[in-house]
Amino acid sequence: MINSDTTILEKSAKHAATSTPVSLARRIGGLSDRAIAWLFITPTIALLLAINIFPLIWAIRLSFTNYRANRPNAVLENVGLQNYHRVLTDSDIWIAMQTTAHFVFWTILLQTLIGFSLAYLIDRKFRGHAFWTTVILIPMMLSPAVVGNFWRFLYQPQIGLFNYIVSYVTGVPPSSFEMLGSVSLAPWSIIIVDTWMWTPYVMLICLAGLRSIPDYIYEAAEVDRASAWRQFWSITIPMALPFIMLAVLFRGIENFKMFDMVMLLTGGGPGSTTEVASITLKREAFESWRTGRASAFAIILFVAVFGLANIYVKALNKVKQR
Amino acid sequence: MAEVTLAGISKTFGQTGAVDNVSLTIRDGEFVVLLGPTGAGKTTTLRLIAGLEAPDAGRITIAGRDVAGAAPATRDVAFVFQQYSLYPHLTVYENLAFPLRSPARRLHDAEIDARVREVAKMVRIDHKLQNRSTRLSGGEMQRVAIGRALVRKPAIYLMDEPLSSLDAKLRAELRLELKRIQNELGATLLYVTHDQVEAMTMADRIGILAEGKLVQIGSPREIYSNPANLHVAARLGQPHINLLPQGLLPGCNAPAGTKTIGARTEHLEISASTPGNAEIDWIEHLGDQNHLHIKVGEHKLVTLADPYLAIQRGDRIDLKLRNPLYFDAGGQRLT
Repeated sequence: MINSDTTILEKSAKHAATSTPVSLARRIGGLSDRAIAWLFITPTIALLLAINIFPLIWAIRLSFTNYRANRPNAVLENVGLQNYHRVLTDSDIWIAMQTTAHFVFWTILLQTLIGFSLAYLIDRKFRGHAFWTTVILIPMMLSPAVVGNFWRFLYQPQIGLFNYIVSYVTGVPPSSFEMLGSVSLAPWSIIIVDTWMWTPYVMLICLAGLRSIPDYIYEAAEVDRASAWRQFWSITIPMALPFIMLAVLFRGIENFKMFDMVMLLTGGGPGSTTEVASITLKREAFESWRTGRASAFAIILFVAVFGLANIYVKALNKVKQR
Repeated sequence: MAEVTLAGISKTFGQTGAVDNVSLTIRDGEFVVLLGPTGAGKTTTLRLIAGLEAPDAGRITIAGRDVAGAAPATRDVAFVFQQYSLYPHLTVYENLAFPLRSPARRLHDAEIDARVREVAKMVRIDHKLQNRSTRLSGGEMQRVAIGRALVRKPAIYLMDEPLSSLDAKLRAELRLELKRIQNELGATLLYVTHDQVEAMTMADRIGILAEGKLVQIGSPREIYSNPANLHVAARLGQPHINLLPQGLLPGCNAPAGTKTIGARTEHLEISASTPGNAEIDWIEHLGDQNHLHIKVGEHKLVTLADPYLAIQRGDRIDLKLRNPLYFDAGGQRLT
């Protein structure tokens, strides 16, 4: 039975092949379709291997050595797990990890809350909603370097617009506080800028989620006498949840390796109050030149993010399947 | 259950008129079917009654109360949408219980539970109460959607082509069930469809809609045998009614002004005869019956025939009319 099926399939395939006037394979000097496929994907694979996979493997190798990039000719010694042991017992690194977690938590919380609220408002489809969507998206389109430099000016105690507005609203003199220079405010100054820049991104994803909910579900709920509050909690939130979770995943991964904004705004200071993991990593690698240990740290970070993201994606799939 | 009346209802969307001066009374406990092609204004009429759209003109009363400006929630209607409008993240049980959990109703959990189970049994979905609503087949989803309307005892049930997305077998089954349930509950029901079989089998009265106007309303028998005009006549009957010029076939007693004669199967008498006035052009064998395609001069007719009728393609026959329908030049029926 199965055999006869395959012969029919083969026959029709053969028929299709012969009925195509000039097959692609024949034109390219007798190469099989499979060979042509390889021909097309080889450059991509080679590039990926060269700039992603090879450095990763090389970093793994270096993480077991005492290699220092500023002394490339020194004798390479295998130190086993010593680098990993040092990283995991280094109290500075643990503080940096806590700082990172703090950033990730607050940026995700604020961006999700504000982003979803904005999406919910924009989804009301009022006059000019397309225009306002574009306006809201502008921060996201700017280069992080530009954003960082501009916010340095905005946070300037004497001439900064941010300090001026805060003083206008609260009455506190503008030069009495320094967003970037004070130990208690500096972490928040970075959280504010990141939220300003990336909330639109979260909004966009949430908006896609809200737009995917068909109108008739709301109409059915309306006829079923569900209040606006109940519609929100029993239709809007559950149906938009996979999208919200996706936004959280993207922002979480992105902010775990937050580097540019911190580097431009505070450089990790004052002291080490805003020194997130990626800044510590950079210092280890390019200021202390302990390349081996920095590699070990990078691998640990990679495994942590990869593991967390995997657990999260499993949860996301579960929500989606409902 | 209650009486629902529409008086001179009109609604336009931009330049297009959807419903044009429709007046209709749905009596308490009555099953009314609105029948019409796509774009005739059937769905809009339902949405106007439910309060999902506001009429441009006219009055709607539900149980004697003018509902102008009232929100859908306060109108005491239940709506079954054409799409399976289930709450996808909830179980079948929770979907059915959803309308009962409205704070406006204040029902006890035990009461809700009893009602949900009763209705689930009624729509035959009680074996899947704990399933997610997205894990059901099309027929099951639509039964849940119907069930979600039935858990309530509203003034009127509004159903918008609830069976149109189902396959033929399931449609026939649910058609019967729906009629049975409506009888059991004594429900007032306004049902919209473009399927004449649904209309004929379920309705107490059929309203024919065309281009936003209610052309005729009456019992299925009335609509079928006494159509007000050509349009109504063309809506009902399988095969489609044959429209012939006056004088083509013998056997009629046409009143003055007759332009067109409408002849369904029961209006045609066939007898084998040579030379005869017609010829069998084609026969479609449907098993239980045959469709005869007949040529009379330039004109073609389709009629049903007994499968045992000894007749073949190319045979000459004698075709005669028996009490057909007469229409004037404007398409209005003449009697």
